[in-house]
Amino acid sequence: MSEQLESGAPTFLDKFPDEAAVVRAALWSSFIALALGAVFGLIQALHRTDVLRLIDSTDYYTVLTAHGVLMVVSFTIFFLVGLFTWATVRSFDRGVESIRYTWTWYGLMVAGTLMAVVAILGGFVPQTDISADVLFTFYAPMQAHPLFYGGLAIFVIGTWLAGADYIWTWRAWAAENPDERIPLQGFMVLTTMLMWYVATIGIAIAVVAFLLPWSLGLFDQINPLLTRTLFWFWGHPVVYFWLMPAYLLWYTVLPTIAGGRLFSDPLGRVVFVLFLLLSTPVGIHHQYVDPGIAEGFKTIAMTNTMFLLLPSLLTAFTVVASVEHGARQRGGTGLLGWLRALPWRNPAFTGMMLAGLMFAAGGFSGMINAGMNINYLVHNTIWVPGHFHLTVGTAVALTLMAATYWLWPQLTNRRLYSRPIGLAQVVIWFVGMGLMSNAMHVQGLFGIPRRTAEPQYEGFDFVASFGSVSELNLQLAIGGTLLFISTMLFVTNIALSAGTPKLSGIGQPLSEPLSTVDDSPEILDNLKLWFGIALVLVVLAYALPLASIIDRGGLLGPGVDPVPMIVEPVAATIEPTLGRLAAAVGSVVP
Amino acid sequence: MVPTMSGENTVREIGHDEFDPKGTLVLILVYFGVLSVMWVFMYFVEFLGNDLTVLV
Repeated sequence: MSEQLESGAPTFLDKFPDEAAVVRAALWSSFIALALGAVFGLIQALHRTDVLRLIDSTDYYTVLTAHGVLMVVSFTIFFLVGLFTWATVRSFDRGVESIRYTWTWYGLMVAGTLMAVVAILGGFVPQTDISADVLFTFYAPMQAHPLFYGGLAIFVIGTWLAGADYIWTWRAWAAENPDERIPLQGFMVLTTMLMWYVATIGIAIAVVAFLLPWSLGLFDQINPLLTRTLFWFWGHPVVYFWLMPAYLLWYTVLPTIAGGRLFSDPLGRVVFVLFLLLSTPVGIHHQYVDPGIAEGFKTIAMTNTMFLLLPSLLTAFTVVASVEHGARQRGGTGLLGWLRALPWRNPAFTGMMLAGLMFAAGGFSGMINAGMNINYLVHNTIWVPGHFHLTVGTAVALTLMAATYWLWPQLTNRRLYSRPIGLAQVVIWFVGMGLMSNAMHVQGLFGIPRRTAEPQYEGFDFVASFGSVSELNLQLAIGGTLLFISTMLFVTNIALSAGTPKLSGIGQPLSEPLSTVDDSPEILDNLKLWFGIALVLVVLAYALPLASIIDRGGLLGPGVDPVPMIVEPVAATIEPTLGRLAAAVGSVVP
Repeated sequence: MVPTMSGENTVREIGHDEFDPKGTLVLILVYFGVLSVMWVFMYFVEFLGNDLTVLV
């Protein structure tokens, strides 16, 4: 990107060196999680397709939990806080109010992650009773070590404090600029964090009030349906928490890279307000097959979910129109000929565009998941991981990686180590995910289950309508391997960029929207109003289902035994000890 | 945001009123076409690819 970088403008690092250090630290935490997550992803892909089984199948859930938690909690959310700190400071054009406070929330998030990761990786060490093979969907009756829940709680508190940091910066800015509209990036950060505050009510209650005391032995039992419902209260909006950084980049950075301007600032604001309002009252659509929740509540969740297609379709229009604007400014012509005028050799651009393309495909499989009747066809099959590897696994992950190629020089004053490797990396990801996700979707339609180490059964074969299951397995394994290679190329490229010479004046200002905020009503910036409506919608969607669950099973549930994920290691430690003891006793006692 | 940055590759500035995103319309129509075909395909996968579901 060198030829475009030397603009003479100061970079983010030049203007805000202290904040740039926090952003770099958060991004590095994210990349380390990504690299580790990719190792576990590769092991999993090769294991379940029976191409190469490096681990015992009983350790599969340790691997699966590590992959899930590292990817969708650590990688995405560390990147989010880094990006949001950059976007907040950049758009309000002022440093954070207290850099010590900013480092504090970052430190809490790191501490929480380390606790949870230690608990998960403890599953590989039979000598310890620490284990958390509960998967990313960590609801009861599966039980993890308290360290896991404690780590999650501390991590989430860190994100709350990060949100308060952004709000603090905004309020300080607003006090000095009382008549100004909130800058677009700041608006996106604030609405996303407000959505996060609403969403995390569910998981905070689930973890602090039920799961943690239960794993500490304070309760004998809890209501599994209640914790499941509270999990999904958070478990759906969290997908938008992953997605909003990608949207922020598509709306505010991609148009500039394409050589154009954002088509409409007001449309961007409407989209983020819609996500604030609609993200949370939909979680029950993950529970279509759960007994104990009335069909009517599920239907309401389905209807709300379908409304959520609106902001994504608005985004498809606005972002593509902004890119088209760039192409036409670069001399592109014709109904589709303008596509050739785009900077396809730029890995940041190509990566984000390919991510958007895969998101369009994920939109379709998402509609299948959301439809209550068709969902029964694919529920708990590997179709579902196929879907979310298109959304969080590509729309989000590939956008974040591609955007890093643009953002990293702004944070380091150094050029990217290799642009061609970057371009190859994003294309390899796209091809790898095309193969893997396609195989997962098709296998799901044949009924092949997800979350299974050995999806092969004696006396039963999955019937493939076309091709064969072994072909699909091979496709999945090759795709997973390409994704692993792509991740390693990305992390290495960024690491090696530290060795390139320092430059100055490589700042990249972002272009002004075509339709600015002045074209939108001021009520859009009334965050209190939208936050209030979001809370009301959540009460409407959840009050009756939760009341009915508690009414039937009680707060501490209809008595399901916990399934502690530490039984295996404990047994493995105790049995040899008992054996030795028996042998010793046998040798003494005639 | 700072004022418009004209990239080095910009050959002409196009303002709000001159820009008509026809290409975007074409792409979105293609996407809706694909979605519709996939929905019809899904009907075959779900209902014609499986046995009858008995509702009790």
